[in-house]
Amino acid sequence: MDLNFTADELAFRQEVRQWVADNLPKDISHKVHHALRLSRDDMQRWAKILGKKGWLASGWPKQFGGPGWTAVQKHLFEEECARAGSPRIVPFGPVMVAPVIMAFGSPEQQTRFLPGIASGEVWWSQGYSEPGAGSDLASLKTRAERRGDKYIVNGQKAWTTLGQFGEWIFCLVRTSNEGKPQTGISFLLIDMKSPGVTVRPIVMLDGEPEVNEVFFDNVEVPAENLIGEENKGWTYAKHLLAHERTNIADVNRAKREIERLKRIAKAESVYDDARFRDQIALLEVDIVALEMLVLRVLSAEKSGKQSLDIAGLLKIKGSEIQQRYSELMMLAAGPFTQPYVREAMEAGWQGDWFARFGDCAPLAGNYFNFRKTTIYGGSNEVQRNIVAQTVLG
Amino acid sequence: MDFEFTDDQLSLRDAVARWVDKGFSFERRHGIAKKGGHTRDVYGELAELGLTGLAVHESHGGMAFGAIEAMVVMEELGRGLVNAPYAAGALVAPSVLAQAPAALQSAWLPRIAAGEALVVLAHQERASRYRFAQVATTAKRAGNGWQLSGHKSVVPAADEADAFIVPARTGGAGDDPKGIALFLVEAGAKGSHVQGYATQDGGRAGELKLADTPAALIQEDGFATLENAIDVGIAATCAEGVGVMDKLVALTVEYMNTRKQFGATLATFQALRHRIADVKMQLELGRSMSYFASLKLGEPAAARRRALSQAKVQLGNSMRFVGQQCTQLHGGIGVTDEYIGSHYFKRLTMLEMAFGDTMHHVGEVSARMTDTTGVFA
Repeated sequence: MDLNFTADELAFRQEVRQWVADNLPKDISHKVHHALRLSRDDMQRWAKILGKKGWLASGWPKQFGGPGWTAVQKHLFEEECARAGSPRIVPFGPVMVAPVIMAFGSPEQQTRFLPGIASGEVWWSQGYSEPGAGSDLASLKTRAERRGDKYIVNGQKAWTTLGQFGEWIFCLVRTSNEGKPQTGISFLLIDMKSPGVTVRPIVMLDGEPEVNEVFFDNVEVPAENLIGEENKGWTYAKHLLAHERTNIADVNRAKREIERLKRIAKAESVYDDARFRDQIALLEVDIVALEMLVLRVLSAEKSGKQSLDIAGLLKIKGSEIQQRYSELMMLAAGPFTQPYVREAMEAGWQGDWFARFGDCAPLAGNYFNFRKTTIYGGSNEVQRNIVAQTVLG
Repeated sequence: MDFEFTDDQLSLRDAVARWVDKGFSFERRHGIAKKGGHTRDVYGELAELGLTGLAVHESHGGMAFGAIEAMVVMEELGRGLVNAPYAAGALVAPSVLAQAPAALQSAWLPRIAAGEALVVLAHQERASRYRFAQVATTAKRAGNGWQLSGHKSVVPAADEADAFIVPARTGGAGDDPKGIALFLVEAGAKGSHVQGYATQDGGRAGELKLADTPAALIQEDGFATLENAIDVGIAATCAEGVGVMDKLVALTVEYMNTRKQFGATLATFQALRHRIADVKMQLELGRSMSYFASLKLGEPAAARRRALSQAKVQLGNSMRFVGQQCTQLHGGIGVTDEYIGSHYFKRLTMLEMAFGDTMHHVGEVSARMTDTTGVFA
């Protein structure tokens, strides 16, 4: 047992740290460190910078143009990016659909789609949830009927994160009503510029249009956009879930955000209040414990000896920690989080009263927004079902 | 970064586990507990396995193993609910005596390694609670030696020990870390008085009263050594807690898969399934932080103290949650003396209060907080 990274891993970390320091635009990291509003351009600018370096596809094997990093290297890369204040990589392309295309797509599909994902040129969205299919995803109803060399798609997707920016969307669609619900689902790639696709933003409780409804009205999709075999989509989607392990915990971002919490607590004069400080201490312990859990998973992957079947735990704990730091930041600022001034979320905004409110503007909104973390990606109750299954058999 | 155990560590784990399976049944433990928790025979069996020499330097007949080996042994002793004072005698005491003058080391460490001598740390006082710098026991020079006067409380295996490591003041007052020296007091020394009693969790402890009792000086400015000894104790407590929790969760899972109510096993009810998922969470966070505790024992004092307090907070919360919830999941049988699970719960409860409870260590983490957070912060 050894807590320390190897000399090679530390050298790798240093290389990443230097590169990020040299290449992450300061206006973007400023927004991230202060939780100000990021534009589409901010997110894509950073994605393209990473793409040019070949690091947007950080989890990809070399044969598909990825850096071929180990799980530990990928963790260190994510840690350095988070630490420096880079925006989270929008995961739908490089992290979610790409592994499915690599594992189950045809060579033609791989050649056609992967380069645009790796470079950050093409914005992908995820079309899984529907108004009637949330945690019970397999009950989804969006239909795709085969007609000649096309599928005709009709239905509605919901909660499509940043779908207003999407150019392509990967969808789970129903191609059969026979047998179990899971066996009639296919995995389809759809050009969002196709006639019949309508995107309608949903304003969330923080006032921001972060997610969308996506409507499909007789949308024609070339049959060549089907991944793998018809009615096997559920299997492919599950592969995707298995692919995502440690970064679902987002512990690296939590380490950065608790530093912000401490800064805010100091600025708001509650850092030296023992009752408040103890709450930070408890969160600190949670974060160290989660980081240890993540490192254990990485170590198990590295050794190949045993796999730790605790992805559900990482999601539950990681999301609870996100909610807790956003909550404590808001509580630190207290009544000064009350003003709702949407412009104050823009970098450089100067209200004449604003200076006295420091970094308070985004705090309540972030707290409201983060209620999503225990709901999305398989609600924490669904995760508990999964954990219980592994424990009880 | 590697959390795998070496083959030697796995063999060590196996050896302890086999001894528990063969020689330390629940019936035996229950019998010992009912008769007052005397475990010197059990301690002798651990010595026969070679375990008492684990942390003693080779020059004194020990094996000079490290923190991970200690952790492995403590996990297995926890799993077996072994109520002998192994951590006190074989881990904490040698960490202090390693700082003693050569003659004292030679007199005691070989006997500790062989299991012939049981030496325990007697640091708690009625007024100190977990603030171990709060020392009222005094030391004064007498001829070439020292004499101690004071009262130490809840000393592990007090009436079975051969000697005590006693912090006492040569100067300062109250909770001043300066002026705290460490002494060795032999059992039965003039003016000493021991009153033993059974403990809630089936072991044994006692009060130690000293009145002008002759003592051998271990270290004059001993607070840093005492801090380190407490941290060795915390890491051992964490590891034992992981073993205790592991076994209690296994018992609970087995029970949930066999006990039927409303015509179905408990394992089919979602309210209970979610409860066991939360238990698993606390167990794995606890295991992670137990590793953290043992891996951080070799760090410089400031980082070590902070890390060990962080670990004890997690383990305290984990042990309480797992203990309480696993008891609840058993229903009525879980709160009976005849059922093995209730004894695991009681051990977890007492472990939370060993070397500082959760609230105390939250305060420590607060006091030692820096701008950064993380495993390597």
